[in-house]
Formats: sequence, structure tokens, C-alpha cells
Amino acid sequence: MGILSSVADFIDSLAKRHRLLPWLLAYALLLPLPFVLATLFNEYLIDLANRICLFILLAVGLNIVKGFCGQVTVGHIGLYAIGAVTSAVLALEPGGFGGALGFGWPIWAAIPTAVLVTAFAGLIVGLPSVRLEGAYLALATLGLGESVRIFIAVTPALGSSTGLMMIPSPSIGSFVFDSFTSYYYLVMTAAIIGIYFSFSILRSATGRAFQAIREDTIAASVNGINVVKYKLLAFVLSAVYAGLAGALFAHMPPGYLHHNNFTVIEMVTLLLMVVLGGIGNVWGGVIGAIVVAIAYDQTKDLVFYFMDRPIVIQPLVFGLSMVLLVMFMPRGIGGWIEDFQRNRRFIRRSEERLGGTARNS
Amino acid sequence: MALLETRNLSKSFGGLQAINDVSLKVEPNTVHGLIGPNGSGKSTFFNLLTGVYQPDEGSYIEFDNVDVTGKPAHYIAGQGLSRTFQLLRLYGELSVLDNVLVGYHPHTKYSPFAPFFNGAEVRRQDQIVKEEMFELLEFIGLAEHAEIPAAELSGGQRRLLALGRAIAMRPKMLLLDEPGAGLSPVNVDSLMDTIMTLKDRYNLTIVVVEHILKVVMSTCETISVLDHGQKISEGTPEFVKNDPAVIEAYLGREMADEDIRAAMDA
Repeated sequence: MGILSSVADFIDSLAKRHRLLPWLLAYALLLPLPFVLATLFNEYLIDLANRICLFILLAVGLNIVKGFCGQVTVGHIGLYAIGAVTSAVLALEPGGFGGALGFGWPIWAAIPTAVLVTAFAGLIVGLPSVRLEGAYLALATLGLGESVRIFIAVTPALGSSTGLMMIPSPSIGSFVFDSFTSYYYLVMTAAIIGIYFSFSILRSATGRAFQAIREDTIAASVNGINVVKYKLLAFVLSAVYAGLAGALFAHMPPGYLHHNNFTVIEMVTLLLMVVLGGIGNVWGGVIGAIVVAIAYDQTKDLVFYFMDRPIVIQPLVFGLSMVLLVMFMPRGIGGWIEDFQRNRRFIRRSEERLGGTARNS
Repeated sequence: MALLETRNLSKSFGGLQAINDVSLKVEPNTVHGLIGPNGSGKSTFFNLLTGVYQPDEGSYIEFDNVDVTGKPAHYIAGQGLSRTFQLLRLYGELSVLDNVLVGYHPHTKYSPFAPFFNGAEVRRQDQIVKEEMFELLEFIGLAEHAEIPAAELSGGQRRLLALGRAIAMRPKMLLLDEPGAGLSPVNVDSLMDTIMTLKDRYNLTIVVVEHILKVVMSTCETISVLDHGQKISEGTPEFVKNDPAVIEAYLGREMADEDIRAAMDA
């Protein structure tokens, strides 16, 4: 607790000088990460770091609709797929492999277009939320999300079973983001900006309206909040995150996209990140994304032999940990963070009242 | 000119006629009481006024010279009609300050997308609003609990917060659904004092549903009585108290001596 408090004190003192200072410091600290990973471990971990950044974007986006606004959606991975495939198809050269579509757009036009298309898809995924709640909404969105994946899997123009290949890498001038290390700077920047904007939303009237809807829909409507409008807005905002993550995933080296990246298992992994993170807490979601992505990566090849037959235990482990989390840690990591922050505020207020003696007593 | 007027307001749930043809006027700057036995339709009446329920065909509701019949709840709230709930419906996980900030929502001047494009303006406006809401919290005596979640307040404090959240909207009219439910007589008195001070301070018109007749009798200028979804009486507290129809609704029909004897013999 002592170290955490002094770190928090330090961040507070930075934030007092300028609001953006802690963010810039975090950014600066993350800059040398690929070199540290490559020197201490291996290149592969940079690829993992990139995927973690994408998962952070996804988890932070899902947190807006599920955590802030309380709408249970299981279709988020479908939005991720839409963002990825749209950007890939727009950027691919016409007449590619296996009948894949290609429009040959510049990548910096393809990515924003993919984000817009995904935002619109998010609106459609959100429509059931006007009438449905809880498990019924989950079922409806699950259907939408999974049908997107199946549509991609059976449409040769979108890659079908072979997937989309040779998706071009983005470049600025003559600098091409075609290696794990260079791409890291792209996705890491996107993740930091995504987290920052997630806080901006949370701390505005928009975020308060989302939370009011989560806590009590009827009270929210009587308080003058247009519930339908704000629910749909939450879906659209989270779709923007998913679309950006998807587009960045499509152009990530090695520039290959397959519908197996968008299965229900991926969705459960994503949900696990948000649940472990603590629903509604941004930093919790980020930590959840990091922890689960690493765990997912490290357990993916874990095979257990039963009577000489291999059994892949990862899905079992993930399913079980989800159940245990919901039972024994319903507030997740975010619950600890919130308790910690509240204790600090309480101590600070007491110090103001008593003149600096509260910490000792 | 009445601030609120209903004409032939009706609502049925399947076969049950919850509100039947109620016409009512509330004058500005008054305290109007609404009483009636359990199940007489008082809460349904509030839900109709605030758009939580949609009224039946042929009903008409006018608030501040605007036809609000069948309009959604957020639209009616935007016209300046605020309410509390019998079961409070606070945002339990949000802080006390955030609860009243949500109450202020209809007056938010920036667009929902502003946090993306104009964060500085959002922070500037929110700072002003927060100071204003802090004053309100100080007035109702919750300022020192501003940062704790609403769910952790005591019962009495929660009632005050529900009141504060409704006031934060700066309404023209405030509907109070059993503000004194579950409070001790002493606390009810002090709550009513707070409400009356708020009324003067914010220039409110108040409609209050209450079971504790003492409260209604001492504070209301006019009282309307509902029974089985119909308005059975209306007038000054003195008039309503002595109206045979009201006494019958509350205490039941007086039985003639021979009827009682017959009932006992059977």
C-alpha cells in the first residue's frame, strides 16, 4: 500500500502541474518497451504487446457499453471483425488472391472509413437494446456478432476459409510500419489515446447519463435523459473503438486476416478481460486486458494427456475462471482500485480537517 | 392560469382501470396534496404525469401551456417537471455529487460528442455546474458526503439526496411521492421544513402524495382525494377532512346497527 500511495501522490502532483503530464509520462515510459522485450526476451513478445494494445482498445470500448451503460452485449467481436475486414478489403489491390475483393484505397483513408462503417454497424447491434435487457439482449447481440463471422467465413470475396492475405502495411512518407517494433508505436499510441478519451467520456455529462441508465433506467428518463439515444450512443462509441482495433489488426504484420480471430471464444476472452477488470472501471479494464491477453497467449498450447489422448484445456480454464470471478470477485480489479482511491480521498479530506495528523493515527 | 392541468386522464392495465377520468388543476406556487387509500392510483397518476406510463386514448395533460400527453419522460422532464420516487431510485454506485449532476442533465449545454472534440469546454462548464451543485448539497446538508456512493448513505440522507436530485433539475414543478415514508415523526417534520424552504428558495410548485395525513393537512393549500382511480373529493384540508365521501373511502361505509347484528347472528 505504501508504494502505491507514493506513486499515486506523484501522479497527483504531476496532474496538478498539467492535466496531460501523467499521460505523457506513461507514453514516454512505454516508448522503449520493444527494445527491452527484444533484449531481455525475444521478438515474439513485441507481437504479443501489439495484440495486447488491440485488446486494450477492445476492452476499453466494450467497457463503455457494458461497464458505463450496463448493456450486456456479446456482439462486440463481430464489430471488431467488421472493422478489420472493411479496412483490409478497402486497402487491398484489386484482383487479389482467391477472388478476394480489393479497392486499392490508401490505408489512411481505409482505416477511418472502416471505423465509420463499424460505428454504423454498432448502431444496428444496439437497436435490440431499445426493447431487450439482460440475457435477452446478450442473446440477440450474440446472434448478430456470430452471423458476421459466418458471413465472412462463407464469402470468398471477404476471404472465406483461406483468409485475406498480403494486406498492405501503413506508412508515413517513406517510413513503413511493417515490423513488430514499428507497428507497436502505432497501436500503443492508439491504445493510450483510446484510454484517455474513455476517461473524457466518463467524466462528462455523457458518461454520467450512461451510468444513470445502468443504475436505474426509469430514474434516468425522469431526470431528462433520452434513454434510447444514449443507449445507442454507447453502442456507437464502443463500435468506434472496436472498428479502430479491427482496422489496426488487419494491417498489422504479417497482414493476414482469418475469421478464426473473431469466434465466440475470442468474445469470451474479451468479456473475461472486462469482468476481471471490474465492470465500469477503465484502468481495471486495461489491467484485465493485459493479464488475460498474456494468460491467453501462454496457455494456448497447454495440452493435457488423458490416456494418451491430448486434451486442450484452455477453454476449460477460461470458462472456469469466468465463473469463479463472477462468484468471488464480482467487482474485479476495478473494485480494489476504487477502494484504494476512496481511501486516499478520505485520508486527504481528514488531513485537511485535522491538519496532517490523520495518516499517523 | 394553472401550471398543470389534466383532463379526462385515464389508464387501464388490462381489465384494471387504475386511473379513471381524472381532471385536475394545480395552480402555480401552491402545495397541492394528493391522498387516497392504498391502491387508489396515486403513484400511477404521477407515472402518467411524468411520462413513465402512457395514458389511454382521450386523455389530455398540459404542463406550463404545453401539451405533454403521451410524450416521453425525458421530454416532460425537459419542460421543467421533476419528481421523486417512493422507493427513491437513487443511482446507488454513483457518488452523491454525481447523483445531483445527473439531475442537472437537461440543462447540459454541450453535445454528447463534446468530450471528443472539445474537452476544455466540457471541463469548464462541468466545473461551474459542480460548484452550483455543491451549493445545493450544502443547503440540504450532504456536502461532506459528496464523494461517497449514494448506496452508503443512511435512510434519511438518501431521502434528502432524492430531493436534491429532483431540485437539481431546477424544475418549475416538483412531484413528491411519499416523501415521509419510513421516517420517524420528528424526521418527517424536519423534512417538510426543508421542502418548504426549498419551495421558497427555488420558487416551486409542489404536488405531494402522502400517507401521513398530518403532513398533508398542515402544508397543503388544496387537497385532491383519489379512490379506485377516481377523484372523489377536492378542496381545502378542512373541507376534505369532513367530506363524507372521503371518510367512507378511508374508513369504509358505516353499517347500520341491524346489519351488524345480522352479520353476528350468521
